[in-house]
Amino acid sequence: MATIELKKVEKRFGEAYAVKPLDLTIRDGEFVALLGPSGCGKTTTLRMISGLEAVTGGKILLNGTDVTWKHPSERDLAFVFQFYALYSHLSVRQNIAFPLQAQGMKSAAIQKRLQEVVDILRIGHLLRARPGKLAGGDQQRVALARALVRRPAAFLMDEPLGALDAELRESMRAEIKNLHIAQHATTVYVTHDQVEAMAMGDRIVVMSSAEVQQVGTPVEVYYNPANLFVARFIGSPGMNLVSGRLSGGAVQLPGKNRYAVPAAWNKALAEGLGGQEEVVLGFRPEAARVARDGALAGEVYASDMHGAYTVLHVNINENEIVHIRGDRQESYAIGTSVRFDLDPQMVRFFNPRTEEAVRQEAAR
Amino acid sequence: MPSANAQGRTYGTGLAGQSRRHLSDRAIQNLFIWPTLLLLIAMNLFPLLYSLYLSFTNFLAVQNKPPGWVGFANFGSILNTPDMWRYFATTGRYALMSVGAQTVIGFSLAMLVRRKFFGSGLITTLILVPMMVSPVVVGMFWKMIYNPNFGFFNFILGAGDPAKGVDMLASKFFGVSTPGLALFAVVIVDVWQWSPFVMLLVLSGLNAIPEYLYEAAAIDRASPWFQFRRITLPQVAPLLLIAVLFRTIEAFKSFDLVMGMTGGGPGEQTELIAVNLYRQAFLGSFKTGYSSALAYIILIIIIAASNMYIKYLNQIKGEA
Amino acid sequence: MSRFEERGPRFPVAHPTRVDKVHPRARAARRVVAFVALLVTIIMLLPVLIMGITAFKTRGDVMVSPPKVLFKPSIEGFVYLFTERAVANAARLEVLEKEALEGKISLFDRIALASGQEITGPSSYVFRLLNSVIIAGISTVCSVVLGLFAAYAFSRFKVPGKDDLMFFILSTRMLPAVVVTIPLFLMYRQLGLHDRHLGMIILYTVFNLSFSVWLLKGFIDEIPKEYEEAALVDGYTRLQAFFRIVLPQAVTGIAATTVFCLIFAWNEYAFSLMLTSQRARTAPVSIATMMGRGGIEWTAIAAGSLGFLIPVVIVTFALRKYLLRGITFGAIRG
Repeated sequence: MATIELKKVEKRFGEAYAVKPLDLTIRDGEFVALLGPSGCGKTTTLRMISGLEAVTGGKILLNGTDVTWKHPSERDLAFVFQFYALYSHLSVRQNIAFPLQAQGMKSAAIQKRLQEVVDILRIGHLLRARPGKLAGGDQQRVALARALVRRPAAFLMDEPLGALDAELRESMRAEIKNLHIAQHATTVYVTHDQVEAMAMGDRIVVMSSAEVQQVGTPVEVYYNPANLFVARFIGSPGMNLVSGRLSGGAVQLPGKNRYAVPAAWNKALAEGLGGQEEVVLGFRPEAARVARDGALAGEVYASDMHGAYTVLHVNINENEIVHIRGDRQESYAIGTSVRFDLDPQMVRFFNPRTEEAVRQEAAR
Repeated sequence: MPSANAQGRTYGTGLAGQSRRHLSDRAIQNLFIWPTLLLLIAMNLFPLLYSLYLSFTNFLAVQNKPPGWVGFANFGSILNTPDMWRYFATTGRYALMSVGAQTVIGFSLAMLVRRKFFGSGLITTLILVPMMVSPVVVGMFWKMIYNPNFGFFNFILGAGDPAKGVDMLASKFFGVSTPGLALFAVVIVDVWQWSPFVMLLVLSGLNAIPEYLYEAAAIDRASPWFQFRRITLPQVAPLLLIAVLFRTIEAFKSFDLVMGMTGGGPGEQTELIAVNLYRQAFLGSFKTGYSSALAYIILIIIIAASNMYIKYLNQIKGEA
Repeated sequence: MSRFEERGPRFPVAHPTRVDKVHPRARAARRVVAFVALLVTIIMLLPVLIMGITAFKTRGDVMVSPPKVLFKPSIEGFVYLFTERAVANAARLEVLEKEALEGKISLFDRIALASGQEITGPSSYVFRLLNSVIIAGISTVCSVVLGLFAAYAFSRFKVPGKDDLMFFILSTRMLPAVVVTIPLFLMYRQLGLHDRHLGMIILYTVFNLSFSVWLLKGFIDEIPKEYEEAALVDGYTRLQAFFRIVLPQAVTGIAATTVFCLIFAWNEYAFSLMLTSQRARTAPVSIATMMGRGGIEWTAIAAGSLGFLIPVVIVTFALRKYLLRGITFGAIRG
C-alpha cells in the first residue's frame, strides 16, 4: 500500500497558524489516529494530505513521490467524510461505481470490483436504493464502499462516525478496524473522541492548538504522556494533576499532604526540573487506591458508581479535586475523610513551566 | 408549601403566579387576529363577492340605473368574443417568453456571482436595482430608450437613420412592419426587471449546497458537467420552480409595465388581459358588469395557478 | 500543468482552498468570471443610468439623434417637474429679463425664463409626491404592526382553521389589482372614500397585510418558543413576553417586511390610477401622465423617475441584508 510522509507541513492564515510545521511518517499498513479537541488542526492536516486544503509550506510525499500540489483525485487517496457526501441522485450502486467510471475503467472490471466491495461491507441488499433513504450506518458503509472500491494507496477519514448515535458508533468502530486489518490499508483517521482513537489506532497523534503534542502508541500515550495536555486529554477522566513543591525528597502538596517521591525518580527530577522546586504530580485514578493508612488524605466530594469500580471525587485541599478508585464494596458518604496511596510505578511528574513530562532515564 | 432545607433556605414561597388581572391567551389570540381578519374580509372578501354579483348584471358605473340581472350573459359574451381569446393568447405568449427568459438569465446570473470575488457583494446588490423601480416608471423610461428618434436602443443597434431603424414599440424592424415586435420589446423590459429576482432565489439555493459534496466530486474527478447535473441542479430545482410559478402568476397580472410603455398598442399587440380589463371597466362606457365577469374569469385562472404554487411550496416545506 | 504540480503556486495560499483551485487555470477562470459579472452589472444598470442622465439634460438635448452622451447638465427637468408655469406675455418677459440681468431672480426662474415662461407656483407633482410619502408611510406602519400581531397569533396559538386562513391571506396577494378595484371603486364612491387619503391608506394596508403576515409568521416561527415559555413560567404575562422577548428577536424580520411593504406601497400604480383623481393621487400616476407643451416632457419624466427611484435605492442599500433575507424567505417559506 503506501507510506505517507509529511515534512514540515504547515497551514497559515496570515499570521495565525492552523497547523504549525509538522513532521510525520505514516508507515505502510498503519492506522494512525489524529486526535485532539475542535480547532486543534487535525482536520486541516488531513485535508492537506488529501489536497482539499492547500499547504502554505512543507511537502507531502506518497511512497516517496511529492504530491503536495497534485489534484486531489491524482493522489490515489480515498476520503471518507463525516456527512457521507453521497450523490443523492444516484443509486447506491452508481455512487460506488462512480470513482471507477471517472477513471475510465471498463464496466466488467467495475462490476467485479463492486461485487468485492459490496460483499466486504455487506450492502448488497442496498444497491438499488437512493442514499437519502438509508439509515446513517448504512450510508456510512456506502461511503466506505465508495472509498474501498478505488483500492487507493491510503484511506483518509474525517470523523466518519461523528454523525452516528453512540451504539452505532461502537459497532461501526469495530467494522472499520476489522476492515483495516483485513485490507492492510494505510489509514489516517481524524477524531476528537479519545476513546475511539485509543481503541482503533496503531499510533495516535495528539494535537492541540495547531501543534503536535505527542505521537505514540495508545499505551505510550496513556502511560507516558509527553505533557500536561496529553495527560489531561487522554483517559476518562483524565490524569489527576496536582501542583506542589519539591523539598527534601518529597512533594509538598496543597493542604497538609506530603508525598514521598519514589527513589527511582529522584535523579530524573533533579535533572528534569532544572533546580526549580515547583513540580506537578500526576496519577491516573486507577493508580490511587483507598487505604486506611495511606499517605495522602482528603474528603469525599462525590462518588460515581461505574459498576465494576467506584470513582471517588476527593477534595484534597479547598476544592482541589482528584479522582481515585474506591473499593466497590464500600460506600462513601459525602464528607467522609479518606486516605489513599499511589502506585509508585504509575506516578508521573511534570515540569509546570514547560508543561512537559519529566522522563525517567528508562522511559525515554 | 414553603419549607426550609438543610441549609436553612426556604423554597416554595410561591412568588410565581401573581394574581394580577391579565389577558388570557384566548383573548390575545382574538385581539391579535381579528383586526387583520376583519380588514381582509371587508377589503378583499366582500369586494370579491360584490364583484361576483356584479358579473351577473349589466351594470354600468357611469349610469345611475340600478344593476339589472342578466345571468350568465356576460360570461357567454366574453367567451364568444374572439378578441378576448386573443388577449388571453397575448398574455399567455407574454408570460411564456418572459418567464422563460427570466429563468435562464436569472439562473446564469446566480451561477456567475455564486463564488465570492472582489466586489461580488456589491455587484449582487446592484443587480437588484431594476427590481426596485416602480414598473410604470420603468415602462416610461424604456419607452424613451426605445424611441426610434433619440433612444439609445436604436442607436446601439447601429441604425443611423431613424426612419430605417428599429421602432420596437411600433413593431417596425428596420422599416418592415413586424407584428409581435412590440410585445417582444415589453418582454425584454420585464426580463430586465425580474431576472434579478430569479437570481436571488437560485443564489440562496446554491449557497445551501454543502461544500463537501463538491469536495467528494473533486476527489472522484467528476467532470464539471457531472457536478452541475448531479449536485447543483437537483438542489436548485425546487427553488427554480417556485420562481417560475411565482413569476408566471405575476406575468398574468401584468399591468403597470404595459401602461407605462405602450398602453396596449400598437394596435392591440400588447393588450394584456389585465390592461383590457382596465379599459373595459374604467375607460369608455364603464362596463362594470361585463368587466366583473371578465375579472372573475381571470381570477379563476390565477387561483388555479396559485393553488399549484402553494401546494408545491408546502410540499417543499415538508421535505425540508 | 506539471510545472504547477512540481512547484506549487508562486505565493503561499493563506486562505482555505483546495489545491485544484489554486491552479493558475482556475485562478484565471475566476478572474474572467469576475470581469463578466462586472460587465453584466453595467449592462443591467445601463437603462437606469440613461434615465439618470436624461434627468439632467435640457429638452433640446434629449430629442437629438443620435442620442447625446456628453452634454451640458441642467436642472431644467426638475424645474418642469416641480413647478407650475405660465407663458409670460411679451411685456412681462421684458421685465423678467431685466431682473435676470440684475441678478434679482432665482436660478429656477431663469430656467423657466429660457423658454419664455414664468413660475407661478408648485406643480401638482409636489402634492402627489407628498401624497406618496404620506400614504406609503402610514400604510406601511399599519400593515407591519397589524401583521406582526396576527403573525404572532398564527405562529404561537392553535387557531382554528389556521391553514385555510393562511391560504386565504396569501391568496389575496395573488389577485390582480384590477379585479379588486372594480367593486372597490363602487364601494368607495358610496362610502365617500373615493380619492381620499384614508381610502388609499386602508387599501394599501390591506394589500400589504397579506404579505406581511406571511413573512412575519415565517420569521416568528424561527424564534424558539422556549424563550417565551421560560418567561411565562417565570411569571410574565403573554403580552409581556411578546413585547419583551419576541419583539426584540424579530427585529430583522420586521425590518425586512417593512422594506418590502414600503417599496410596494411607494411604487404602486394600478390602485392609485383607478381609485384616485385629484386629491389623493400618488406620484407614479403623475409621472406617467406628464405632458407638456410640446408633447411628452421627457426631462421632467426622467427627473421624476429619478427622484422617485432614489429613496428606494437608498433604502435598498441601507437595508440590503434584510431585503435579501426577506425575498428568499418570503418566496421559499411562502
